[in-house]
Amino acid sequence: MFCNNKPQKSMTLEKVALVLLLAVFAAQSTMAAQTLPPANQWIPQDAVISLELSQPKALLELFAGEKATAAVTALPVYQKQASTPQFKEFLNVIEFLEITLDTDWRTGLSKLTGGGITFAICPEDTLILIIDAEDEHMLEQTHEIFLNIARGEAEKQGQPNRVESTQYEDVTTWTFNGKEAHAIIGKRLVIANRPEGLKAVLELRANGASENLTSKATYQAAKRAAGPDSVATVFADLLILKNIPEIAGLLEQSSNSPLAALFFAGIVEAVRDSSWLALGLHIEDNTLLFRASVDGKTVAPTSPVAFALPSKVGDGALPNLSVPRRIAALSLYRDLHQFYAAKDDLFPERTSGLIFFENMMGIFFSGRDLTNEVLIETQPEIRLVVAEQEYDPAIGTPQIKFPAFAAIFRLRHPEQFKEVAEEAWQKAVGLINFTRGQQAMPGLIIDRPFQGKTKYTVAYFSTSGIEDKTNLDSRFNVRPALAMPGEYLILSSTDGLARDLIDALHQETEQTPKPLAGTHSLVEIEGGQLASILEANRKTLIRQNMVNKGNTQEQAESATDMLISLLKFLDRAKLGIGVHEGLTRFRLELKLNLQ
Amino acid sequence: MAVQIDKPPGQYQSGQAGPAASEKLGDPGWAWAAYQPDAWQPWNLAQAGHLFRRAAFGADWDQLQQALSDGPQRTIDKLLRPQANIAAFNREHDEYESSTASSTDSLRAWWLRRIIQTPHPLLEKMTLFWHSHFAANGAKVKNARLMQRHVQLLRSQALNSFRALLKAISRDPAVLIWLGAEANRKALPNENFARSLMEAFTLGAGHYTKKDVREAARAFTGWFVLRGQLRYISREHDGNVKQILGQKGNFTSDDVVRIVLEQPATSRTLVRKLYRWLICETAEPDPKLIAPLAQSFAKDYDVLKLVETMLRSNLFFSRVAYRRRIKCPVEFALGIVKGLEGVVSTTQLAQDLADLGQNLYSPPTVKGWTGGRHWINSATLVRRHNLAMALLRGSGPYANKLNPWAVAKKHGCSTPESAARFLLDLFLQGDLGPDVRDALLKKIQTPAAADGDDPAGTLRRFAHEIVTLPDFHLA
Repeated sequence: MFCNNKPQKSMTLEKVALVLLLAVFAAQSTMAAQTLPPANQWIPQDAVISLELSQPKALLELFAGEKATAAVTALPVYQKQASTPQFKEFLNVIEFLEITLDTDWRTGLSKLTGGGITFAICPEDTLILIIDAEDEHMLEQTHEIFLNIARGEAEKQGQPNRVESTQYEDVTTWTFNGKEAHAIIGKRLVIANRPEGLKAVLELRANGASENLTSKATYQAAKRAAGPDSVATVFADLLILKNIPEIAGLLEQSSNSPLAALFFAGIVEAVRDSSWLALGLHIEDNTLLFRASVDGKTVAPTSPVAFALPSKVGDGALPNLSVPRRIAALSLYRDLHQFYAAKDDLFPERTSGLIFFENMMGIFFSGRDLTNEVLIETQPEIRLVVAEQEYDPAIGTPQIKFPAFAAIFRLRHPEQFKEVAEEAWQKAVGLINFTRGQQAMPGLIIDRPFQGKTKYTVAYFSTSGIEDKTNLDSRFNVRPALAMPGEYLILSSTDGLARDLIDALHQETEQTPKPLAGTHSLVEIEGGQLASILEANRKTLIRQNMVNKGNTQEQAESATDMLISLLKFLDRAKLGIGVHEGLTRFRLELKLNLQ
Repeated sequence: MAVQIDKPPGQYQSGQAGPAASEKLGDPGWAWAAYQPDAWQPWNLAQAGHLFRRAAFGADWDQLQQALSDGPQRTIDKLLRPQANIAAFNREHDEYESSTASSTDSLRAWWLRRIIQTPHPLLEKMTLFWHSHFAANGAKVKNARLMQRHVQLLRSQALNSFRALLKAISRDPAVLIWLGAEANRKALPNENFARSLMEAFTLGAGHYTKKDVREAARAFTGWFVLRGQLRYISREHDGNVKQILGQKGNFTSDDVVRIVLEQPATSRTLVRKLYRWLICETAEPDPKLIAPLAQSFAKDYDVLKLVETMLRSNLFFSRVAYRRRIKCPVEFALGIVKGLEGVVSTTQLAQDLADLGQNLYSPPTVKGWTGGRHWINSATLVRRHNLAMALLRGSGPYANKLNPWAVAKKHGCSTPESAARFLLDLFLQGDLGPDVRDALLKKIQTPAAADGDDPAGTLRRFAHEIVTLPDFHLA
C-alpha cells in the first residue's frame, strides 16, 4: 500500500502562474470600454483599511526600474536563488507571458496596473483588490492565459468544475478555485478573496448613489490630511481597529510598563483618542516619504503625559548625534522629573521590579530622592545611540559581537551633579564586582583615562591570561563607561562609544544645536551599518535560525543572507513624531540604496 | 482521561505469548537469552516500533520497514553500532553548540536538534538517561559552558564505561557546583558530593552510613572549582587514614570511586534503574532476574554490554516490556517529529517540553526526573494535547515543518483514507482495538472530514487524534 514512492513535485508552471495571478491581476472583460468612477467609490463603507495607489508607475519605476533590477540581480543571494529549478521555472513563465503578450514584463506590468491599484480590508476577513489597467486588450489576454492554466490545473486534479463563471446582472464573474471571485469591468479588474466581497463591489457599482467608502466622514477627513499629491494613501478606521484585542492590548501596555510609558508617551494617547489614521506616500529620487497623522486631541499641559510635550514654542528633541559606525539613534524630548512625579497616574501598579529599581537608586544615590534630587537634574533632551564596535585585537574580539549603546542626558547643574553621578556609577560597578566575586567570577577593573580634555571612567574585564583572544565570551562586549563633557552625561556600554560621543558633543556644542520644534521623538536607523553588524554575526545568526526555525543550514544561510541583502538596500530610515498644527504627525523617510 | 498503562496490547501478538512463555518470564536464563522470533513471538511492525521507542525516540516509516526486513538482531546491531560517522556528526554539533552556548536555553535547543538528526539515537537516549541520573541543574550551575561540557562528558561515556564516567563526574566542575561542593577544605570537609555519590549515583539508600559519607568527604578534600575550573590544592587535602565502607587506608577521591564500585549494591542499583528505563517501569523486577546482569555488570561496568543484553533479550520483546513505560515529554514530542520526518524549531520545543515538566539541562531534583506516572496529570495531559496540536497545526511557532499528508503521499498514499491507515501504522503500529480503529477511520470517511479541497488539514487533525490517544503516550 505504501510502497510506491512518488517524488515530490516541484512548483509547477501552473502554480507559479496562479501565484502571479493573485499577486498582480487577471480577468476577462464582458463589457465594452467605458468610463468608470474612481475605484474607491466601489469600496464598501465598512472598510477598515484602504490603500489607494494612485501612481503605481512611480513605485514601479523605483522598485522595478532598471537601477533597482540591476541592484537586485547583482546580489549573490539572487544569483543563488536564480540557479534553482523553481526560479528557472518562474522565469520561464515570465518569458512565456512576455512572448504571448508581445511585451517585456516591465511594460506589461505598467500597462496592466498603470491606472491605479486600490486595496481594502473589510469586516469578516474580506479582502478586495481593484486594479485599473491602461490596456484593456492586454488585460483580457492575460486573463485568458490564466483562465486556461487554471482550467488545465483543475482538470489535472480531477475537479474541472472548480473553474467557473457566473453572470451577475451585466457582469461575468469568475472563480478559479471556488473561493476567490473576480470580474473585469472595462479596464478594471476586481478581485475578492470571497464571493461576498465581489458582490458588495458589484452592488456599489450598480447603485452609484449608494453609500461607499468615500461618503464616510472619517475617510474624507483622512484623505484631506493625507494631501492630494501622494503617490499612495492609506486610510485606517481606528474606531474599529482599536477593538481588536491585540491592538487594544498594545495600547494598554503603557500603563503596565514604565519604559513603555516613557518611550510611547504622547503617541499611545493620540492613537487611543483618534478615530482615523491617514498616511500619504511621496517619492523623491530614491527616498520614500511617508507622512501619517491621526485626529486625536493633542495632550493637555495638565495631563500626566505632558512630560513628553515640548513646553515652549520652538522646543523639541535635539538632532541625533553622529558617531562612526552608528547603527541607530533615538532622540527624545522627555522631562524625566515630571515623568517620575506622575508615576502613580502613568503606571499605578507597584511591581517588584519597580520597587527593586527604586531601592537600588536609593543605594547608588546615597539616599537622595529619585524624583526631586536626581531626575530633576536632567533636562528633557535625552538621546540614545547604538553603534557597531571596533575591537582592539590586543584586547580581544568576542565570538558574538554586540553593538555598543549609550544614553546621553543633558544636565541642569552639571558642576554640582558630576560627583553625585560618579559616585553612583562607581557604587554600581562595585556591586557588580562584589556579586561576581561571590560566584568566584572575575570582576571589572576601573580606570580613569582622558579623551581630549574630558576625563571619563571605564570599567573593563581583563583579557590578560586568555590565550585565544579571537573567541572571547560575550561579557567582553561590555566596557561600561561614564563621561561628563560639558553639560552632558554619557552612560555608555563601551569606552569606545563614550569617546566617540565626547567628540561628537564637542563638535555639536561648537555649532549650537537647534531643537526640532514640536518633535518629541526622532529615530534613525542606518541600513548599511545594521547589515554590517549582522554580517559580523552571520555564523551565529545562521545557527540561531537553525534552532529557532527548524531550518537546514542551507535554508538558514539563505534566510540570513536575504535579510542582510535587504538591509543593504536601506540607506537610512528616519522616523519623527511630534505635534504640528494640532495633530499628532508621523514622518517616516526611507532612503534606499540602489547602487 | 486516565492513561491505562496495564492494558493488554491490541494487535500486538507476541505480547500474548503462549503459556510456556508466560511461565518463563521469571526465569533469568530465558529472560536474558537473545530473542528469536517464532510463531508465538513473531517479528512484526509492533515489535519494530517497540524497539525504536525504547532504543531511540521513535522511527520514521523507512526505518520501520528496514527493521522489518532486517529482523530484530540486525536492527539492534545497527542501533548499538551504527555504520555512520558518529564522531563527525557529534563534532559538528559540538561546534554548533559552542558557537551559541551563551545560555542553557540555546544548549537545550541544540540537544533536541541533535536528538532529531543523530544517526545514533541510542547514544542520545542513554545520554538523557545519565543526565537524569546525575541530574546536574544548569540553573544552579549558572555557567552554560560547564553544562555543555557536562553533557558532552555524559555523551562520551553514555555507552562506554560507567567506571570512567563516575571518575570523570567526580571531577566535573558542573556537578561540583551543582552539589555545592566547589570548595572542599581539610578543616571543613564538604559532604555534599560524597553523599550524592553514595545515595544517588551508586549504592542507593540503606547501603552506607553517615560515617561513610563523612570519611569519603575527607578523601575528596583538596578539590576546588575556581573561576569555572577544577583545581587540586594539595595542602587542603586530608592525608590521614579514612575508613570507608569497611575499607581502611589513606584514600583519595579515586579510591572512593573504586570502593563504591566494588560494592555489589552499586551494580544492582544501576541495573534496576536501567531496567526501568529500557524494559519496564510498572513493576519492580524480581531480584533473581536482576542478579545475573548485576554480577556481569560489576566486572567491568561496560554499559554497552548491559544495554545490549537488555535490548536483545526475550524479556524486552515480551509483554512484560511492551507499552510498560510512559513516554517522557521528549519521547512524546520527538515520536511525532521523527515519525513525520521533520525538523522543527527546537528553541520552541525545548520551552514547551519544560512546560511539560522536562526542562533539559535542569532536572528538578537530585534524583533527576522521577518519570512514570509522574509525567501524567490533568495539567500535563492538556499540555501534551496542546503541544501535539501546535506541532501539527502547520502554522504558528512550528510553522509547516510537519505535514502528515505530505509524508503519507511520499510513501505512496493517494487518498486521505489510505493516508489515515498509514498514520495509524506509523504511530501505533496497529495497536488499536478494531472498534477504536474503525471509529477513527470512519471520521476520515465522512464528508465533513473532507474539508473541501484540503486533505492536508484533514490529515493534520487525524494525526492529532492518533497522537493524543492513551496508547501513544506509552513507550
